[in-house]
Amino acid sequence: MTAQPTTLKILTVVTVLMLTAATLMVFFYAPLEAVMGQVQKVFYFHVAAGWTGMLGFFVAFVAGIAYLITHKRIWDIVGVAGVEIGLVFMLICIITGSIWARPIWNTWWTWDPRLTTATIMELVYAAYLMLRQGVEDPDRRARFGAVYAIIGFLSVPLTFFSIRIFRTIHPVVIGGGDGDAMGSFDMTPKMFQTFMFSLATYSFLFATLLWHRVRMGKFADQLEQLKMKLLA
Amino acid sequence: MEGPADTLTYMIAGFAVIFGIMLIYLVSLISRWNNLRKDADLLKELENKE
Amino acid sequence: MNQVTPFLRALGAVVWKDLAAEWRSREMLSAMLVFALLVILIFNFALELDPVGRANITAGILWVTFTFAGTLGLNRSMAVEKDRGCLDGLLLAPVDRTAIYFGKALANWLFMLSVAVIVLPVYSILYNINLFQPGLLLVILLGSEGYVAVGTLLSTMSVQTRTRDILLPILLFPIVIPVVVAAVKASGNFLAGLEMAEIQPWLNLLIVYDVVFTAVSFMVFDAVVEE
Repeated sequence: MTAQPTTLKILTVVTVLMLTAATLMVFFYAPLEAVMGQVQKVFYFHVAAGWTGMLGFFVAFVAGIAYLITHKRIWDIVGVAGVEIGLVFMLICIITGSIWARPIWNTWWTWDPRLTTATIMELVYAAYLMLRQGVEDPDRRARFGAVYAIIGFLSVPLTFFSIRIFRTIHPVVIGGGDGDAMGSFDMTPKMFQTFMFSLATYSFLFATLLWHRVRMGKFADQLEQLKMKLLA
Repeated sequence: MEGPADTLTYMIAGFAVIFGIMLIYLVSLISRWNNLRKDADLLKELENKE
Repeated sequence: MNQVTPFLRALGAVVWKDLAAEWRSREMLSAMLVFALLVILIFNFALELDPVGRANITAGILWVTFTFAGTLGLNRSMAVEKDRGCLDGLLLAPVDRTAIYFGKALANWLFMLSVAVIVLPVYSILYNINLFQPGLLLVILLGSEGYVAVGTLLSTMSVQTRTRDILLPILLFPIVIPVVVAAVKASGNFLAGLEMAEIQPWLNLLIVYDVVFTAVSFMVFDAVVEE
């Protein structure tokens, strides 16, 4: 396995610095929210993690299409990496969403369209991994993964809209009549800056993790081929 | 006017989740990488024997 | 234009094969039917409701029934192909792969509709509610089409894995949620006699889903049956 490219080393360092800076911003730069108190600070990374989850799914979608067209192994590796990272960060988003809801709306779960869609996406990710686990042949595994990543990604907007229309017509007691009740508070400029910086930070984090994970995937692939050659 | 709600415990829980899960993932990546390294060394040995 | 006729003929052949084979044994249809009726029965005891309460959730019960019975049909339809080696045979034939997809999807759709054809009168009789309204029938047509379009694609994949039957619901249900949500709301609204304006968004959602997923499914179908 070749050594880490310099660009990756630099990217990793930059990401760590940004993450540190973002955390400091959240705790010391962004003001305390007037109604919700300290728990509101979770919001910055909660949304950023959700954004990362979406990025993972999107990367898997593109990689899926690319694999079906080119049949190059690298796209399968990228696809799995995207799903894996997306799974992790979407999980963070869902759990923090629940933690945020508890003190604010006195419930562990609101059927908020975004959170519900995030959970469904998480289930699709998990199904993707289970599908792959059940297939022996690497090429078939890659094809099936690609197809499901494409179908899964396309279902997300429709799922979101169906739940949103559902919610605006049937407001749940908690959160009033607004289908987007969750997350409504006014953002001051400092909050907005912290928010945007968090999004940028997590985007860098995603890119860094993806690169590392893809390298690992390539390494594993090489070993598999070597193994088959030696033990054949 | 009363001040903001005291939600400190929830904030701590939230950040524990965020950094905790990221850490677990990082550890899993590192451990998987090390396993691959070991496998690679093993395979190198096998290859040299042949 | 000369490509259309062989395509349609292949499609027709696949549909005919499925219908004829099923007609001879009737295994799958009877299984789906009995299952559907049992589900309705269980709901009756699980959700002891007065007539008014029941009216509100009739749409929900119907669609849960269809969703689960549909899975049975999809699994069986594909498993039969795989086990008897028919799938390989079909693929060897000089036929456009998409004709196979549409043939299977159409056959699956007809099976699901036949389940509905029996479930509706039974439910109507059991609960003294008239389910034969054109609006409801339209929703069943649209909803089952979307379900079957994705289901046929996904069942083709799941039948080739180690986990087979159990995997299909895991793959299918998250994807098919827009259909279930829209179908239940539209059905319920039709049954409650609401204004068309209220029901329109749900019908639109169903149509969009059907178009998008039927198109995507047949485009990628080739990738899941390659050897």
